[in-house]
Amino acid sequence: MQVREAMPTSPAPVSVRADSALRMGRLTRVLLYLVAIVLSILWVVPSLWILLVSFKPQGSNVLNVASWFQAPYSVGNYVYAFTHAPILLWLLNSFLVALIVTVLVLLLSVLCAFPISQNRFPGRGLVVFLLALGLMVPGEALLIPFYLLFRSLHMLDGYGALILPSIAVPFGVLLVKQFFDGLSREYFEAAKMDGCGVLRMIFMIAVPLARPALAALAIFTFLGSWNNFLWPYISITSPNVMTVPVGIPFFNSSYHTDYTLPATADVIVSIPVFIVYVLFQRHIIRGFAFSGLK
Amino acid sequence: MVSVRKYMPSYLLMLPFLILYLLFTFYPIVRGLIISLQKFYVLGTKRFVGLANYNYLLHDSTFLSSIWHTVIFVVFSVPLLVIIPFCLALIVNAPIKGRKIYQAIFFLPMILGVSVVSSVWSAMLGNYGGLVDAVLNAIGIHQEINWTAQSTQLAWISVLAVTVWWTAGFNMVLYLAALQDIPKELYEAASLDGASGWAKTCFITLPSVKRVTILIVFLQFIASFNVFGQIFLLTGGGPAGATTTIVSYIYEKSFSEFLFGPGAAASYILFFILLIVSLIQLRLMSKTE
Repeated sequence: MQVREAMPTSPAPVSVRADSALRMGRLTRVLLYLVAIVLSILWVVPSLWILLVSFKPQGSNVLNVASWFQAPYSVGNYVYAFTHAPILLWLLNSFLVALIVTVLVLLLSVLCAFPISQNRFPGRGLVVFLLALGLMVPGEALLIPFYLLFRSLHMLDGYGALILPSIAVPFGVLLVKQFFDGLSREYFEAAKMDGCGVLRMIFMIAVPLARPALAALAIFTFLGSWNNFLWPYISITSPNVMTVPVGIPFFNSSYHTDYTLPATADVIVSIPVFIVYVLFQRHIIRGFAFSGLK
Repeated sequence: MVSVRKYMPSYLLMLPFLILYLLFTFYPIVRGLIISLQKFYVLGTKRFVGLANYNYLLHDSTFLSSIWHTVIFVVFSVPLLVIIPFCLALIVNAPIKGRKIYQAIFFLPMILGVSVVSSVWSAMLGNYGGLVDAVLNAIGIHQEINWTAQSTQLAWISVLAVTVWWTAGFNMVLYLAALQDIPKELYEAASLDGASGWAKTCFITLPSVKRVTILIVFLQFIASFNVFGQIFLLTGGGPAGATTTIVSYIYEKSFSEFLFGPGAAASYILFFILLIVSLIQLRLMSKTE
């Protein structure tokens, strides 16, 4: 399988320390701290600045560093954004779409990956070939067929257009198959002896064992759906069906003269992913490393 | 047929996925190829025109320059997004205080969507005085720079900077996983032999990350070739079309001009370029096996 060759070696726990092996000179150490701190500041300033700007009254000078730390602060922008644009609705749309996509991707991938991994049925090679083919096609190359397909189904500008193209992704099946391949066959043979049906085998034995892979896939799928831009931008035109990534440029385009409102919108829509990030940071980072093959 | 019946449960389990897959991935792939060989008329009729759309593209200077622009972006972004993430990974893998915090900070932009990233950087680079200009003013460079629209070079520098800021964390994490897979004994043995930190980096770390580097180069190559969102939202393809990439071209052709034939043909050219890259990568990966 080509896919296996492309997978990165599975990451060790991120917390492993190698200090004793990596002992270094005082100068190197000082230099390292300096570089780490300077780069961290560079990396964090844009986000932090936007956060501060969102709490500044409209029209205030937000470019002077000193002014960041001085009153007045206000939540006026937040009130304004929530009352003048359907931001809550966009958040809800994004959340529902991402949730449905994630659940369906997990379910479909598990069901499809199990027989491919465990059985040598006729036509298996063809299925794997079709999946590998799909893996190589960039989504950007399918925009026009998608557009024409959903137009003829009268499903443009609706939730179907947001959900359906994202649920049958070969990446999920191949990732889960990869993990199922590593499970000992004895589990399943013993279960079969006990008269355990295939669905019970999948959901009582295989799924619990595959939790790390499934968690990685879930996180990856959810964030991918949450941040998906181009296809929703093309297919969705009603503000009521927009997801966050499409709604934000739509909202910002009406505020060209001030940074405070766009900044506020940025913060509002980033809060949910930020909370998820803080709570599951370890899993997310490991998940990304695990699914290095996009 | 006996074996087909025997494996009936297998087929049934795969059925839901395969139906959706055939409908929403395989069918669009085939349909895209057909569209690329058709001409669409305003009234919705279409006609088979052979390779005329491909021929059209080869003589369309906008398309050719969009390929050139994409190549420029790939040539600059791939090395930057290999070297910088590797350095970041070395930093957060080193035994220093707060490494977890640095790691979290470097990775953070990765969770933001392209719209938020572009919105944040529109303000940073703002064409009526953003934070970057303000910082430059503070250190004595008094100039109002219109980063995203003033000149081709500045527009590219802006797009590259934003892309590095946004996605370096992803490649960093891949490198980090590889760094932590290196057996500690190698470093310990080298220390006993009196090797310096730099020597260990050059002779143990670098060779050990060769495989993951090929993977990262390949993933980055594909991601860079597909670049669109941040360019579309930051520069709008400007100034004067100077940052229009292949995907921007596909988008413009298909959804502004509604010329589906040339749009689909351009998509297929993109697909073939990426296919060739994938095959080269598979060959390289199996060699380092």
